[in-house]
Amino acid sequence: MIAKKVLLIGSFGVGKTSLVRRFVLNEFSENYISTIGVRISTKTVAIEDEEVKLMIWDVAGTSEEENVPKAYFLGSSAAMYVFDLSREETYLNLDKEIESIKNLSGLDEVIIVGNKRDLLSDDEIFEIRKIVPVTIDFITSAKENANVEGAFNLLTQQSLK
Amino acid sequence: MRETTVDNKKDNRFEILKELLLTDDRQKFESLRDQFLEKDKIRENINPVVDEKIDDLKANFPEHFGDQITESIKVQIRESQDEVVEALYPIMGKLVKKFIIAEITKLTESINQTINDKFSLTQILKRLFKGKRTDADDVLQEVFEPIIEEVFVIGEKTGLLIGSYSRGNIADKDMVSGMLTAIKSFAEDAFKKEGQDLEDIKFETFQLSMVNYNSIYIATATSGVITSEFKEELSDNLNTLAEKILRDRTYLNDENKLNKLIEDILILD
Repeated sequence: MIAKKVLLIGSFGVGKTSLVRRFVLNEFSENYISTIGVRISTKTVAIEDEEVKLMIWDVAGTSEEENVPKAYFLGSSAAMYVFDLSREETYLNLDKEIESIKNLSGLDEVIIVGNKRDLLSDDEIFEIRKIVPVTIDFITSAKENANVEGAFNLLTQQSLK
Repeated sequence: MRETTVDNKKDNRFEILKELLLTDDRQKFESLRDQFLEKDKIRENINPVVDEKIDDLKANFPEHFGDQITESIKVQIRESQDEVVEALYPIMGKLVKKFIIAEITKLTESINQTINDKFSLTQILKRLFKGKRTDADDVLQEVFEPIIEEVFVIGEKTGLLIGSYSRGNIADKDMVSGMLTAIKSFAEDAFKKEGQDLEDIKFETFQLSMVNYNSIYIATATSGVITSEFKEELSDNLNTLAEKILRDRTYLNDENKLNKLIEDILILD
């Protein structure tokens, strides 16, 4: 079985841990648990007749702003950046954040995920897509289990490239 | 007309008098009777409800009053700490004493056994030819013998588990490897010691040692008293293990092969 380290990055409270929980345990907790530094989860995913053991490093923020050890970003095969659709401050500087992650991890691509779609209407999401400086790959809701599987499947595929 | 024994006039008067005197009493009697009958009626209606409530209380007492009772006990304990300590002290004292006696007995037996072995004729002869080690070292070494409990060979940057050996039952070794790598990175970053690595973590009877090599690091968890002799031997064996892995990179992609190598070099050797 192949084992891959993948990153999940984003500011505090954007719902990274909830996404991992939904993906790994397929459940959602209403309790808010903030992430301190890094939380590691593992999940084995079958993709293209191949079993991949994902080691998901759920990292809070980027090294420069939140003083996260640079070593957390090293050796990763793919990364997913999560922002909160309902909080503007989590996506306004997205392009800079993504550049910083690419520099730290050495990755060419980062998957962009807007989470908490359950809190916004379709029109509001449409407006956000126009403001966000990069292309959003997935609009998810950990609470309603919307698009979570899809986002992680793409992460797994990218980790195999 | 024949006269009767009844004096109608007199009797009527008595009746009238009775009426006059007892009207209040009769009204009170009527009222009391009504009240009594009313109570019976109410009782008939209320009894089943009360019974039901009593049954519910019996069955769900902890749910209804658990919190209040717990709170009340907490308050009681808090306010009467001296009394609680006084009541529990003799019982706890006996338990602690019993535990300590049992442990000291085990330790004494173990030390006696080791001393007997050490002072046997064969051992005395052996001692004549040995080096610097003292008898105390020998006794300690045998009573608290260091044991390698866990070994993890981990990718230095990825934190991915490449191979392992385990005496215990660690549920998710991959997660442990990841967390160890994160802790290591965090400690090295927090103390800003560039070029220096986190090497040891000690907790109770366990010591976790991490040795870095090119692209991998090896973490070993050891229990018991770690003597300098054991440390040297472990270090030599770890170097041998790392050398073999790095010379033959197929070990990095074959977990079973690597696990066997770890066992051969660190455990069976």
